[in-house]
Amino acid sequence: MLVARGSRSLAIFRPIASELLPLTTIDHGRLQSTASMQPSADERGEVVSPKDSQAPQGGPQQAVVPHKKRPYSPFKPTNTAEFALARVDDLLAWARKGSLWPMTFGLACCAVEMMHMAAPRYDMDRFGVVFRASPRQSDCIIVAGTLTNKMAPAFRKVYDQMMEPKWVISMGSCANGGGYYHYSYSVVRGCDRIVPVDIYVPGCPPSAEALLYGVLQLQKKIKRMAKSQVWYRS
Amino acid sequence: MSLIQKTLNLFRAIKQNGGILSSLKTLYVTDDLKWGTHVGTDKYGNKYYENNYYFLSRNRWVIYNPDFHLDYDGSQIPPEWHMWMHYTTDKPPTVKPPVNYKWMVPHQENKSGSSEMYYPYSTTRTKIESWQPAHLRTADTEEQNPKLFNIPQNNRIGVQ
Repeated sequence: MLVARGSRSLAIFRPIASELLPLTTIDHGRLQSTASMQPSADERGEVVSPKDSQAPQGGPQQAVVPHKKRPYSPFKPTNTAEFALARVDDLLAWARKGSLWPMTFGLACCAVEMMHMAAPRYDMDRFGVVFRASPRQSDCIIVAGTLTNKMAPAFRKVYDQMMEPKWVISMGSCANGGGYYHYSYSVVRGCDRIVPVDIYVPGCPPSAEALLYGVLQLQKKIKRMAKSQVWYRS
Repeated sequence: MSLIQKTLNLFRAIKQNGGILSSLKTLYVTDDLKWGTHVGTDKYGNKYYENNYYFLSRNRWVIYNPDFHLDYDGSQIPPEWHMWMHYTTDKPPTVKPPVNYKWMVPHQENKSGSSEMYYPYSTTRTKIESWQPAHLRTADTEEQNPKLFNIPQNNRIGVQ
């Protein structure tokens, strides 16, 4: 009886195990779907550039969206002095956006996503973004979570202690405009009632990816700062 | 063994990126040097690659059109490729083309910060009316004087 039961269970398990084996050995159990197919250039919908015109034509082609070549600098100087100052602004912006140190200001569950952004998967360090726990050493503050009336004066104090230039990222619907607690008696309806906000990241909470995108948008905004040119023109 | 493999991979990556100089340029622009199968190209000229040698979430990547240079952005990936990049599907749009419907608007990148940026507005009348100087109060309705209301002309509801 025992022997019979044992043999039956073996018969059940053997074919399954043999089916699973190749899956687990090839590239960590992932199914190779597209890499092994290697579609041709036409099937890929690749647009044939004039450089390699000998490539076969007549296949299904996509309409190419016209675009312009984008220069590094967003400024368009008109004379020599403006040109020189534009380069000064570029250099300043390059230095500032390359080492953006945000002040940690986690107030609620958004802070968990903020931590995810710092963790290896999203890895904000590769953009030079490093958390500083001191407002005097940070250039940016990420308001992550519900800003309550009780916290508001402390938040403003922290913001005031930061050095110029400083930026604010409002993260999540609570910080953007009160969110779920908009009608609460104890919550500030958006942190832009306390400080000027540069980037609003929507979501409840926003994913770490969304926050990282917000940081990148802030870098783009920093790139457009033209303080010395504004000084020259005024 | 592993060191030899990694060196070989480095040489593969340099070869695929077109030599040492263009590899350095790729490193400068993308902060990364990888090798893989070219899966497809989208309408902007961004190229999509896959290599399952890299672990999940790094095995699919995009090299943006070189014309974008450093101004590339995640929103420049059209939705059908976005699906593939984010593992919603394993079939790239070259294998399974997306279904086009009438109501679909053409994809455009994030215009924040440019002159075409989205400007939020409300269609309801505000409870508190802000003070407006007398010389600006000649035309009260937004049709007559849209500048007073901060509503972009192409952004109104019902107007395409």
